[in-house]
Amino acid sequence: MSGPKALQQPISLRLFSSAFLAFWCLLAAFPIVWIAVMSFKAPVDAFAGNPLDVIFGPVTRAGGEGLTLVDIVLGVAVLYGAVQVAMRSLPRLVATDAPWGPVAFRWLIASVVFTLGFVLVFFGLLPAISGAINGVLGLDPIIGLTTAHYEAVWIDNEFWRNFVNSLIVTVGVVTVSLTVGTLAGYALARSGSQLAFWILIIALVFRALPHSVLVAGYLPVFVNSAAILEPILGENAPTLYGQPLAVIAVLVSINQPFTIWMLRSFFQSIPAELDEAARVDGCTHFQAFRWVIMPVMWPGVITTGLFSFLLAYNDFLVTSLLLDASNQTMVPAIAGYFNRETTTTDQVEAVAAAVSITAPLFLLVMIFQRQIVSGLTAGAVKG
Amino acid sequence: MKFRTFAAFVGPSIFLMLLFIAAPLVSVFTQSFYLSQPVVESVEVETCTPGFLTQTCTTEVRTQPILDENGRIVRETRFVGLQSYRNVLEPERAWAAISSFDISGLLAIDFWKALRFTLTFTLITLPLVLGVGLAIALAVNNAAKSVRGPVIFVSLLPFIITPVIGALSIRWLFVGDGILTRLMEYYSGTDIAMFAQGWTIEILMLFYRVWHVAPFAFVIFYAGLQTVNTDTVEAAIIDGASRWQRLWYIIVPHLMPLIVFVALIHLMDAYRVFEEIVGFSSQAHVISLQWLTYDFLQPDDSGNRAVSRASASAMLTMIGIVVLLIPLLRKTWRDHRGTR
Amino acid sequence: MKKLLLASAVSLGAIMASGSAAYADCAIQNNIELSSLSAGFEAWKSVTDAMAECGNFTAELDQEFRTKQPAAFAADPSLYQIGGVANGTITPLLNEGTIRPLDDLVAAYGQDLSPNQLIRVDGQIMAIAMMVNTQHLMYRHDILDDLGLDVPTTWEEVIITAEAIREADVVQYPLGGTMKAGWNLAQDFNNMFLGYGGSFVNDDGTPNVNTDAGVNALEMMARLTEFMDPEYLVSDSTYVQQQFQQGTIAMANLWASRAAAMDNADESQVVGLVNTAAAPTATPGGAPATTLWWDGVVIAANITDEEAEAAFQVALEGMDAEMVAEHSDDAIWLIPGYEPNRFAEGAIATATASPAPQSYPSSTEMGLMHTALGNQLPAFFTGELSAEETLEAVEAEYLTAAEEAGVL
Repeated sequence: MSGPKALQQPISLRLFSSAFLAFWCLLAAFPIVWIAVMSFKAPVDAFAGNPLDVIFGPVTRAGGEGLTLVDIVLGVAVLYGAVQVAMRSLPRLVATDAPWGPVAFRWLIASVVFTLGFVLVFFGLLPAISGAINGVLGLDPIIGLTTAHYEAVWIDNEFWRNFVNSLIVTVGVVTVSLTVGTLAGYALARSGSQLAFWILIIALVFRALPHSVLVAGYLPVFVNSAAILEPILGENAPTLYGQPLAVIAVLVSINQPFTIWMLRSFFQSIPAELDEAARVDGCTHFQAFRWVIMPVMWPGVITTGLFSFLLAYNDFLVTSLLLDASNQTMVPAIAGYFNRETTTTDQVEAVAAAVSITAPLFLLVMIFQRQIVSGLTAGAVKG
Repeated sequence: MKFRTFAAFVGPSIFLMLLFIAAPLVSVFTQSFYLSQPVVESVEVETCTPGFLTQTCTTEVRTQPILDENGRIVRETRFVGLQSYRNVLEPERAWAAISSFDISGLLAIDFWKALRFTLTFTLITLPLVLGVGLAIALAVNNAAKSVRGPVIFVSLLPFIITPVIGALSIRWLFVGDGILTRLMEYYSGTDIAMFAQGWTIEILMLFYRVWHVAPFAFVIFYAGLQTVNTDTVEAAIIDGASRWQRLWYIIVPHLMPLIVFVALIHLMDAYRVFEEIVGFSSQAHVISLQWLTYDFLQPDDSGNRAVSRASASAMLTMIGIVVLLIPLLRKTWRDHRGTR
Repeated sequence: MKKLLLASAVSLGAIMASGSAAYADCAIQNNIELSSLSAGFEAWKSVTDAMAECGNFTAELDQEFRTKQPAAFAADPSLYQIGGVANGTITPLLNEGTIRPLDDLVAAYGQDLSPNQLIRVDGQIMAIAMMVNTQHLMYRHDILDDLGLDVPTTWEEVIITAEAIREADVVQYPLGGTMKAGWNLAQDFNNMFLGYGGSFVNDDGTPNVNTDAGVNALEMMARLTEFMDPEYLVSDSTYVQQQFQQGTIAMANLWASRAAAMDNADESQVVGLVNTAAAPTATPGGAPATTLWWDGVVIAANITDEEAEAAFQVALEGMDAEMVAEHSDDAIWLIPGYEPNRFAEGAIATATASPAPQSYPSSTEMGLMHTALGNQLPAFFTGELSAEETLEAVEAEYLTAAEEAGVL
């Protein structure tokens, strides 16, 4: 909405608008930044009454762990560089001479490479370099900082297992949900029948259901599934309780209503003439979908996929009840920290785990931010 | 599209929804009219439990279920009609309270207490989420191109963060002598306890929900703003429309479908409010309908769970959300008729 | 930052080393796949770690164990061989007959168990207890000494002492309390109610809490809250423990299993300053107003005898003297070889008091009563209802629930 002179706004409005935005950003980021700060401090500092103590961590510093000025400068520089790469260079790199075909795959590769690179530089290269400089200059830390809680969480408590489980469940949910959902969404968009309409309305009501109602019904069935399925599957009938596959199926189903609504609106924004032309050329509906629609559907699919990802990644109710310890995902694992007889150290460890959970979401949004907005703009939310 | 093709495309999705949503729902519906109890007997049992050095043995009459020859509990299931609904709604007590204009008496009954909170929560957060979301979208759209990227990124954080963790992070700031409570105490000079009375907890819960969902409204509205027709806006300026008039007569109508969409999603999500109750441990003061159902289903130490009452309360919750959604559903219905 | 790299290298090494040394500390070598499901607090961690040393054993420490245990043990074959229970959570397993009597196994392998550990129901051994737990008085002995106060033995004395501490203005709040709405609050009421000589249900299963004992208990609790942090309705055991650690309270009736945390130098600012004593009595000469709890293991019924045998042996290995020697601070162990430390004094004084406090009365009715209390009592503390009205509401909810559960 920039351009013509008449659209220029008075200074007061501009000021007000920027001030509001600044205030909002502070509000949005503060709680998250604050728990991130807490997670790097000794328990006494983390729960200290004085905010400055929490930030500078005198007790942590007294323990001999902290950041020097050089560490901070270098760290900020690397972070800034990473954000720049993620938000500017990476999308450009992926988008170069790209028809929409296997772009999702290229995004996947790009994000994995980026994450690995970041981890390598930030946790491998950076400490080595700054450690050397600190040694030469003989600098003392000015901000207390300890990674002890992260070590405890990731190494001692084997949190990486939960991470892997989360990965399995999330990838499973997103893939299945999108495969099933695009097919249904496409058909619902192209069919004007009463049936299609009622399916959508019922799906809407399903979406409104309180989950605790559904979830409680699953447990006894899943625990006894071996006995229940035996007449059908014979000896090999599985016990579904504790199986990631079963959880994936449940989460996909719970998420289906939203997915098909979202994708239906998106497919409606793709002109029907496109597949009708293909049909005239002798394609079946499925072929038309495969060769005409699939190449142009990715913006909407990526956006919908992100919502599925969030649901699967953040779910607590379903995963905590239907998975056992060996398959536990991250969110219920963290709730476990709080619910056992916790010490203050446990709590700071839980905070560290909470921050660890949030980090992948961070990267994801950093990389996909443009896709979210453009996917939504392209029509996924036309109502 | 032929029915068979349609069915092939929609089939897998429908199958999943039928199996994992519709089937449990039907079973909940039937359970709400039936009562399934174990057949119990009273027996005298001597139980020995440890003290620190020696055991104490007590003999007492215990009620325990009868087991059949396979070692399964013998259960009897009978039709009780609306009894479970009566147990949840407590109509006599509620009616007595209403007829004597005793609001606090009515709100002492769990279901009505939960309904009161769920409705206020939903209806207060709805305009706030829409308003704050729209305000952020307009402000971001107004901002210089160079800062938009980072601002969108920061704005999305509250939305993507895991709800349990988001609620806890806000809670830590306020609970006991949390950092923000201290700040407020410093400025007001009084001793503040945010978790000591119901209304402050409610405010925190409202704040958390708006903080969490406004970014979702924002990103959708922001996407919508990108497609506002500049010609119309310019024409309006030539006609001398003020900023507010432009906002009200051009931008808002343009965004209307999106506003309905966000409102629909938010109504459903806010009506199921649950994480906040657990995250802020507000059970003493306020509870929500989904929490009530959840609480009926939580087994106590002896393994009892109130399945029938839970089913009834779940069905009542569902009726509530359908009633709330009717205006929006009717709109969808009209649009559907219109486009056909 | 270099330390991080180093530390990860070291602990990676440690993981690998521990892999090969897994069988070192266990007298038997287990060859049957076994798993357990229990709560996740520190004592269970110590015990299951010791069990894991026997090999082929996986432990699930789960906060949802109460929900999962009955269903998982009812499956055939049972999903877990070993279960961790307390005197409350054993009830559903007993009722459904999904745990097996252990008399044969105890006769064959249980030479080292003390008779006190054998939980008998109707003459049969159904569980092996490993620890007791109780809520008892913890206090800052430095504050009481400075002010020349005696350790209170009745709740009336607690109030007098709290008054003196408040006047001296040495801590923010004289008292702490585990009064979080729900289970905790109901448990606090249970303690006080039994202290006033109440009994929860009549012989015919009808409720009996709307009595003098009930009203007295509520009123005493209300008087105590005046000395507490006003956010007491969200304060659970961890919160009270932190209040102690940060020096904001002087006394509380807190779980024995929390005591060791007071001397944890990493977290506590009151190392060496907190002592324990018997739970105060509600009436002079009465039993301490608290309940006794035990935690222990059970073996599933729906498994083969070989599995049961292996599971029992592994469980005993987890609860041997060696484990206790290593983790003596984690709990008040019932296992032979346990040397009580300073913090155990309160629990021992409570358990050996005369008259002694009751064990938590675990039964179907008590489960229903506990839930009803947890749901309805907050209304009294928020001032919405009077004590009598609250207890009336408790009885009403109990009646509805009991009819639904078929016990009335």
